[in-house]
Amino acid sequence: MRLGEPTKIQAAINITPLVDVVLVLLIIFMVMAPQMRKGPDVTLPNTTKPNAQGDERGRILVSIDEAGGLWINDRSVTAESFGETLNAAVGTEPDPRIVIRGDAKLNFLQVRQAMVAIEQAGFRGVGLIAKRAGTEGN
Amino acid sequence: MQFNESSSSLQSEINITPLVDVVLVLLIIFMVVVPLLMEGYDVDIPRASAEASAQLEEKQLILSIGSTDCPLFTPPAEGGIPRDCQVILADQKIPAVELPARVAQFLGGRPAEQRALFLAVDDRLNYEGVLRIIDLAKLGVEDLKIEFIATN
Repeated sequence: MRLGEPTKIQAAINITPLVDVVLVLLIIFMVMAPQMRKGPDVTLPNTTKPNAQGDERGRILVSIDEAGGLWINDRSVTAESFGETLNAAVGTEPDPRIVIRGDAKLNFLQVRQAMVAIEQAGFRGVGLIAKRAGTEGN
Repeated sequence: MQFNESSSSLQSEINITPLVDVVLVLLIIFMVVVPLLMEGYDVDIPRASAEASAQLEEKQLILSIGSTDCPLFTPPAEGGIPRDCQVILADQKIPAVELPARVAQFLGGRPAEQRALFLAVDDRLNYEGVLRIIDLAKLGVEDLKIEFIATN
């Protein structure tokens, strides 16, 4: 679309910088995403076929680190105050869902104790988080 | 940048608008989905007050994983569990690798809501090993319910 010779006006917006910025954002998100998890660093067990664990709404994350320490969402808690803190974390959530991120090196005992504590706090089912063999994530 | 002065002027630039659209959508998908992704196994915890599931007692399929027959004390190597690992399914000792077939044999014919596997696990076993065995059992029956029972 030429308006006149010899000085031509460029009518299209130059979107190359926009594309640059968006691509960089995309790369940042792809790289940072695995590190945005709540809670301590946990080496998740590898399995072949874990099921999707629903979305984040109502999800309470109970993590058990390599040393056996308990975490609720991103706070470390003692075994004594576990039930209290868990109920506080659930709050008035209508449909709470508790998932356990246990380290692959734990004994089953440590996971079972956490499950018993969750049961004593009044919750029935939990999800045991694993990662699909051959994928990244924590 | 014109090459000629014909009435139909050629457009020499690549149209990158669709590219931008796609990239923006990808960006949004990553921003939204990534913090939500999590996979795992749904399990039931035994009630401490054991008025438990007595209604199904004679039909309960119990899988015991002991530390003598299946010494998984450290995380097993990538992909599966050791061949020498034996588990006890409905009072029969079987190699863990046969679990998918055996669980399917026991539970395949039941209605979906009764497809439950009760697990008695030795406390000293490695957590990843236990999850691998649950994974094997679930290979046999798609919508298998897992419930832990107290071992001691």
